[in-house]
Amino acid sequence: MSDAVKKDQPNVTVPTVTFTIDGQSVTVPKGSTVLQAAKDVGIHIPTFCWHPQLKSVGACRMCYVEVEKMPKLMVSCMLDAMDGMVVYTDSDQVRQGRKAILEFILLNHPLDCPTCDKGGECDLQNLTFAHGVDDSRFDFKKYRFKDEGMTTTFDDKKIGPEIMLNRNRCILCYKCVRSNKQAFGEYDLGAFERGNITQIDAVPGGEVSNPFSGNLVEICPVGALTNSDWRYKIRVWLTKTIPSVCNFTSSGSNINFYKEDHQNKIFRVTSRTNNSIDNGWIPDITRYGYQIINSPDRLQTPLIKKDGKQVKVSWDEALEHIAKKYNSIKESVGRVCIGGLISPSLDNRSLYSFSKFIRTVCKSNNIDFRGDYRMLPNNPESPFGVLRSQPFSISAIDDSDVIISFGSDMIHEHLNEYLRIRKAYNYTHPKIYSIMPYAVKSADVANIEYVYNPGSDESAVNALCLAAIEENLVDSALANEYLKNVVPSTLKDAAVICGLDENDLKVLARSIVDGKKITFLIGEIVTRSKSRDNISAALLNMNKLFGISSKGQISILARYANSKGAEKLGLLPEPIAPIKEVLKKNFSEYPESDPRNTDNMMAHIRKEEIKGLFVFGSNPMMLYPDKEFIKESLEKLDFLVVCDLFETETTEAADVVLPLAGWAEYDGDYINLEGVNQSAKQAVKPNDEVKPAFEIIRMIAEKLENTNFGNDDIDKEITNCLAVDTTISIPKDFIEVKSQTEETADDNTFPIFIIDDAHHAGYLTEKSPSLNNFTAEAYLMMSEELAAKHNMKNGDSIRVESEVSKIILPVKISESLDSDVLLVPRNFQSSPVTSLFMRKRRVDRVKISKVDE
Amino acid sequence: MHYSPVITNADIAAKDENLHLFQYVEDPKQCEVDTFVSRGGYKAWKKVLDGISREDVIETVKKSGLRGRGGAGFPTGLKWSFVPKDSPKPRYLVCNADESEPGTCKDRVIMERDPHAIIEGMAIGSYAIGCHLTFIYIRGEFTHCIEKMEIAVKEAYEKGHLGKNIYGSGYDLDMIVHSGGGAYICGEETALLNSIEGERGQSRMRPPFPAIEGLYACPTIVNNVESLSAVPHIINRGADWYASLGTEKSKGTKLFSLSGHVNRPGNYEVPLGFNLKDMIYDPAYGGGMLGDVPLKGVIPGGASTPMLLPDMIDVALDYESLQEKDSMLGSGAIIVFNENTCIVWVIKKLIHFFRHESCGKCTPCREGTGWLEQMINRIEAGQGQSGDLEKIEEVCGNILGRTICPLGDAAVMPIQSTLRLFHDEWQYHIDHKKCMVKSNFEFK
Repeated sequence: MSDAVKKDQPNVTVPTVTFTIDGQSVTVPKGSTVLQAAKDVGIHIPTFCWHPQLKSVGACRMCYVEVEKMPKLMVSCMLDAMDGMVVYTDSDQVRQGRKAILEFILLNHPLDCPTCDKGGECDLQNLTFAHGVDDSRFDFKKYRFKDEGMTTTFDDKKIGPEIMLNRNRCILCYKCVRSNKQAFGEYDLGAFERGNITQIDAVPGGEVSNPFSGNLVEICPVGALTNSDWRYKIRVWLTKTIPSVCNFTSSGSNINFYKEDHQNKIFRVTSRTNNSIDNGWIPDITRYGYQIINSPDRLQTPLIKKDGKQVKVSWDEALEHIAKKYNSIKESVGRVCIGGLISPSLDNRSLYSFSKFIRTVCKSNNIDFRGDYRMLPNNPESPFGVLRSQPFSISAIDDSDVIISFGSDMIHEHLNEYLRIRKAYNYTHPKIYSIMPYAVKSADVANIEYVYNPGSDESAVNALCLAAIEENLVDSALANEYLKNVVPSTLKDAAVICGLDENDLKVLARSIVDGKKITFLIGEIVTRSKSRDNISAALLNMNKLFGISSKGQISILARYANSKGAEKLGLLPEPIAPIKEVLKKNFSEYPESDPRNTDNMMAHIRKEEIKGLFVFGSNPMMLYPDKEFIKESLEKLDFLVVCDLFETETTEAADVVLPLAGWAEYDGDYINLEGVNQSAKQAVKPNDEVKPAFEIIRMIAEKLENTNFGNDDIDKEITNCLAVDTTISIPKDFIEVKSQTEETADDNTFPIFIIDDAHHAGYLTEKSPSLNNFTAEAYLMMSEELAAKHNMKNGDSIRVESEVSKIILPVKISESLDSDVLLVPRNFQSSPVTSLFMRKRRVDRVKISKVDE
Repeated sequence: MHYSPVITNADIAAKDENLHLFQYVEDPKQCEVDTFVSRGGYKAWKKVLDGISREDVIETVKKSGLRGRGGAGFPTGLKWSFVPKDSPKPRYLVCNADESEPGTCKDRVIMERDPHAIIEGMAIGSYAIGCHLTFIYIRGEFTHCIEKMEIAVKEAYEKGHLGKNIYGSGYDLDMIVHSGGGAYICGEETALLNSIEGERGQSRMRPPFPAIEGLYACPTIVNNVESLSAVPHIINRGADWYASLGTEKSKGTKLFSLSGHVNRPGNYEVPLGFNLKDMIYDPAYGGGMLGDVPLKGVIPGGASTPMLLPDMIDVALDYESLQEKDSMLGSGAIIVFNENTCIVWVIKKLIHFFRHESCGKCTPCREGTGWLEQMINRIEAGQGQSGDLEKIEEVCGNILGRTICPLGDAAVMPIQSTLRLFHDEWQYHIDHKKCMVKSNFEFK
């Protein structure tokens, strides 16, 4: 739990009840169930259908307890503890009751444990042994499900890209159906038929393909749901679990790797419940993303470009080559003119080593970790920087009474936070609002979904403030001061620009004013916008006007596994002042040169003022939203070193390619979006030639300038950085915000946004076969109406044409989109969608036309 | 206008003003709103809106002693008073018209022949709990009832008995006719609520009780058609009048659906406490055993209630008297069997029904009814094995009182009662691999 949350928790005494379990007196908060209370004192009550994150239903009846003065056996998962109650969890009657339930469940259950993947970690198997049910009184033929086309009754049924269903094994605990609906808001799985032939299945004509579907397999208490990942590959007792954290989301869900020593291979990932972050649910990206580690396409040795072709070389040769190039630049120019780009998904040690390398060895401030954002501000304390640095706690969502997501397509960028909001929606019923330039699936829990005109972000925020002023909801002196700083300054004008309904805005304004604890989270629409500073300024003004940060949290969420770490460890070209101070002390000398972010570096490469570039785990050629700009820039370089797990478009352009270890292959620390530092342990050993980034940086630094980066020094210096509070205080005054809209010349164009596919993140996950089973190619996502207008069906080819490029993509019709906005995923190398984009555009627009066959 | 051909005692009711439910059910015009109003319909609804407080309505119904007619017999007024007064949530009243207990066919008659009586009762009930949107959930197979109710609701809206600002009182009430999907379990109130919500019809654990957290997690009252139909009469004629009918503890009148081997199967309204023997033998009611074949046993309150033997039928039809005989009044479905009936065959039919209708949610009922059906089928087919009866007893014991809803209990109670009352017959089936009754009577 982060400090921010601890501070917020009021010190209220919760009413309690005291009762007796198995002779032991227990005091628990009022409203606790007997099952929960027993768990708290270490008394185990067996369950099948109970799950800590789901509402109890009392279906399996395994958790019977005997209560004095109650004639029947009670199910403890639904029995509230009451004062003076006397409960027995292991009496004769209880044991008889549970044994009867096991007998019922086993009536038609197959005896295929030796071939069942769940064997060894099966709740039913364990409880059957525990209760000594070793004989069956059932002397009829067991019931077997069999569908048309199945040759045997043990043929499993594929109900989704990664889910196989064996209905004979299913014990109907309904946990899969319940979590799918309740926790994930998905309706692609249901129960059909009645009585003892009730069966779980995908909805007719559908498949279970939601971005959380892997959880259904994990929580199945028996072997009814399995996935291709684990199925028939290995027995669980042959594996070891290694604790780690997710490398594909910024929340850092806690996970376990299941590795087998002899094969030195990871076989699966499951959640490692951390209630302050993930509540035990992990998205499919987290679950199946690890497969990239096992990919046969991994880079195995360094490569050097010789005569225009990359050839395999030894590390010595590669380092020699780097040194030669480095020295020739140094000699010809008289100084080092090198830049560096690194991935914010790498661990602390790698990030910090990189910063130290660029600033002390290359003596430059040409460094950035944001290789896929355009037109970033240079000033770390700009309005964007301020909002970015604000603390955020995932668990604080739980007790917020107003939750607003602004500019975040949560299913595509912040899946864990979306589940957290859903949890609040289910349990504490807060007011939830979504504000986006297009309609999103995650708004299914929202009281009102606000969809503003693309590119009018700051006007949408201003309109909200003006609505509050018009309704006299805020202090009038504050309001007058605010009004001096905004253009336009009337609700009517602002509402026209952003296209939102004035009354809806008033409802939102009222909710924010009435809210006692507010969570206001801001997503990638703002981070990716060229106008991020102007939008952030509008948001800061809003914050001041409503006083949001004083009664909750407002923050632009970090997007990558270690973005927060990169900021704290001085990877910004110009780190914030206190971090810079620590770096100066750590480094003993700090470069004088101008700080240059990704855009500036590229511009200076074009001017031939930067001649060499080190790229670590970053793929700007594919992800930077102006492909042509990056391509032209990189071509100008004298020298490009790229370090990655796979060959990418960026490595293709490199003079030297170095094989990088993945996060499962070494011990590393990562700072999640809350600022919590978490460790990921080494699960498997990489090939000898494949090395973690900090190791590579250490070797290069030693080779180039004979500098010694000892791990101990590095770790000590990291500790110094992490001790700094990097929250930038919110400016006291209002900031001038003018509406900035772009004129559109052509009416036949549509705004287009880049997204991550719900089953992919960044450029690496397309190496995961399981994730590719969900989506394996890029698409153009559009609303039903727009598709109908262009006479397009799902899968039809469509030509997408911007001012600079055109590509052909298959159409994917979205159920949530309802305006003329187009979305493209950036995760597939085969479709370079970033080529459509131009870096100076606020909102990119494209023409579309059907490709006739 | 056509009705389902069911015999009623409307002729008696027409002469006896205390029999209020069936007074006009033989008149086809009764389902038209104008006729209904000309006979005093909607008078109680007007009277309530004219200035009886919600508390007084509840108090009157409490005092009348009206108890739920769906089977459980819970006092209606008391149930209404459980709705939390300070809840900011909307409240709902749901009329349970999912009549599907084998043998029960009384609500159907009211829906087909006197639908406005239900609407008026629902309206008064809604007012009493502060509800502005009420549902009537009708068994899906009752297409005729659904049509009739839809027409009646439409008429009620047109004449201003429903809708906005009813009778100028400022009270709004909307009514929705909701069709069931064809599952017996949806007659169980929590499963019914799930069904309205669009979820699978499966019962929910209580607590929370629907009165606290029901439809859409809001306070909800579920009442049977017959109970609600009695409410307008209680308002019109007073709690004391209603309480004067019936017995001391079981007040009012009750509809009984008489079926099986009698000469006049039908629906009969009688004051509670009416003698079961008279119900079967009185020419105005059952008219005696069909073909004068002697009586073997009676199920007094719907398929799930324990049987009575011929020497037990001189009993008053009320909640308490039947309880004394280890049975229940239930929904008032009296099923009569003559001596030619094979009890094992009857139970086979019943367990098949309950196995088929088990919703599949909780383990004992889902798995247990399936197992029981297999064992009972085997015995009935002459392939029973020694030890089967003991096994059946044990399985019944593992179901009874261990399930979420009463369906599990309903499935095993007739089995347990016949194992007790007709043990020899069960044993004969196993020992002799055949039935001790000469010829099986086939239901037509």
